[in-house]
Amino acid sequence: MERVAIEKRVLSENDRIAQTLRQRFAARGTLVLNCISSPGSGKTSLLERTLEGFAPETRVAVVTGDIQTDNDARRLARFGFPVRQITTAGACHLDARMVEKSLEGWDLDRLDLLLIENVGNLVCPTSYDLGEESKIVILSVTEGDDKPLKYPGAFAKSRLMVLNKIDLLPYVPFDMEAARRNARSIHPEIEIIETSCTAGSGLDAWRKWIGERMREAERKEKPR
Amino acid sequence: MHEMGIASEVIDAVRIEIARHPGARPSKVGLRVGEWAGVDVESLRFCLEVLVKGTDLDPLALDIDFRPQGSELDIAYLELED
Repeated sequence: MERVAIEKRVLSENDRIAQTLRQRFAARGTLVLNCISSPGSGKTSLLERTLEGFAPETRVAVVTGDIQTDNDARRLARFGFPVRQITTAGACHLDARMVEKSLEGWDLDRLDLLLIENVGNLVCPTSYDLGEESKIVILSVTEGDDKPLKYPGAFAKSRLMVLNKIDLLPYVPFDMEAARRNARSIHPEIEIIETSCTAGSGLDAWRKWIGERMREAERKEKPR
Repeated sequence: MHEMGIASEVIDAVRIEIARHPGARPSKVGLRVGEWAGVDVESLRFCLEVLVKGTDLDPLALDIDFRPQGSELDIAYLELED
């Protein structure tokens, strides 16, 4: 019997494409954020409120993923910015090749911000690098405050946790402090912003966070 | 749900490796899977069993080295018999 070392990362082809995308984005100073959450946490609503707050000349685009329908793309297109829908037809996540294909025909030189809305799923999307600068995990208060413990990968790999739907706190048994504590037990440095897309609270902090990341990406822009 | 794609990639890597060792039969493949890799280990095990069953790779044992708080998703080794 002979043991042969292989030492090959699975998904290495996805990682290769993601790295190429990351280099393309970095060369242009384009900030790319990959939004991950379970279905129904309010990803699309958060993106709607985000786009609504941008001046028309803002160079932002959205790629949104769903298993079926282009409902989200139609909702997001109302704000006048470029939007593309990726319909995965069963796949539970976006991968780097899907994102690469969705960018065809877009001039990345004219984009400062690309928002990616992943398929609603807190497990599989964490396995796939899309070339993003940061992953963002969105957790709504209608879910359990122990979600970070149940789905640690999404929280371990995200730079920011958005605690959404906080206007519903009076009606649900969600412990905000426990949610923060659980997220930080998985990822001590995770940043946390609390939002309500219905009431509008916390959206200024969210937009400020994006603005700071965009300025960082611009400063880091590499010569091509 | 994406475990089948991962299992297919493992099988592809096994086939590439056995092509380098003519006459040898693969008996076990070793994987490293981190807790935060977003992979359900039992689902991956099932998918690999399905892909191997009835093929020239059958039987192929699977050794999964589960890494708590890790993000690994690697094919570590292949055991071959002459």
